[in-house]
Amino acid sequence: MVNDETFFAWLDDELDAAEAARVAAEVAADPRLAAIAGEHRAMQDRLKGGFDTLLDEPVPTTLVAAIRSPRPAEIIDFAEARGRRAPRRWSFVAQLGSIAATLVIGVLVGTGLPRPQSGSPVEVRGGKLYASASLGRALETQLASAPEANVRIGLTFRDHAGSICRSFTGIASSGLACRADGRWQLRGLLATPQGQATDYRMASSVDPALAALIDSTMAGEPFDARQEHSAREGNWK
Amino acid sequence: MDSPHSFEDGLTALLPRLRRFAHALSRNAADADDLTQATVERALRSRGQWEPGTRLDSWLYRIMRNIWIDTVRSRGRKEDLHAPVEEAERIGEDPRRAIEASIDLRTAMNAMQQLPDEQREIVALILIEGLGYRECSEILGLPLGTVSSRLVRGRNALLKMIGE
Repeated sequence: MVNDETFFAWLDDELDAAEAARVAAEVAADPRLAAIAGEHRAMQDRLKGGFDTLLDEPVPTTLVAAIRSPRPAEIIDFAEARGRRAPRRWSFVAQLGSIAATLVIGVLVGTGLPRPQSGSPVEVRGGKLYASASLGRALETQLASAPEANVRIGLTFRDHAGSICRSFTGIASSGLACRADGRWQLRGLLATPQGQATDYRMASSVDPALAALIDSTMAGEPFDARQEHSAREGNWK
Repeated sequence: MDSPHSFEDGLTALLPRLRRFAHALSRNAADADDLTQATVERALRSRGQWEPGTRLDSWLYRIMRNIWIDTVRSRGRKEDLHAPVEEAERIGEDPRRAIEASIDLRTAMNAMQQLPDEQREIVALILIEGLGYRECSEILGLPLGTVSSRLVRGRNALLKMIGE
């Protein structure tokens, strides 16, 4: 009697010719086996038929557009943000006011900030906010081209004082950190709006408040992949 | 079969199948669309890691499956309380109700919903996407024997739900 695994491997056309012939003969000689084979084929047809209805649907245009756009979404968003530069100061403040659910933590944080929990992306030292060990490691080692599960690096660039800064997006927050004395000092941290906290939604677009912060911090243009890579080799100096 | 002219053409041509796999994994249309979008974005960012000459579909299925696993993990930590919504939605719904020559997408997704995660991904790749056991074992990083035994359990469970 053929075992289950072999029987179904035969049904799925996964056996070599000799073994397939042996199972086929056994099934042909046993009406019960033949009936089971028929039931399973019909079940698979029904299951697959249900999902195959998707193949006839038009693909959402956003998907096609994402593939056809010439550059990664974040760069485009950023370019758009820059294009809207004229009313920048005013609109930045207005945006901050309007994003009620968004928490922005500035550079100088008072002592009133709660002690970071484990898993927090930030820690406080000497009244300033720094990336925690795990976020720091991501900022230290990750390239924008190779996102990992929990943190995605966005743009890398120099600020007006010449320090290297990197924007990042995590599961619950996004922000901007700049290199200071061998550590990553936070320039801004924003809570990811509720309902977007699943990591696969991470930053297909940048929060407008973060885009504005990047805009006001950056001197010159963002690094390209090669510059980003050599900045990492140079330990972000 | 025509070989795609570019990475973008290949990716575009595979979108309908990626959406199908996303629906089978997530059993939820909204999640499936987000998952497909995230997969496309990651694929575009990581395109340098795809080796031309190897199967683009397998590479994309693997990306999608990894994103989905990360999503489920992070939800498990943060969104425990949200899970029962979908759960409640299907209480009282017996997938066997729709025993006909064909079933609709919702019934098919409900049936997949009943499977354990580790059987569902294998059923999706082999019975729905039509991949071979070996491709499936490579995508999932599992031994062939594990793939084949989980597939037996998954399809037996499905037969009880949507069999004749």
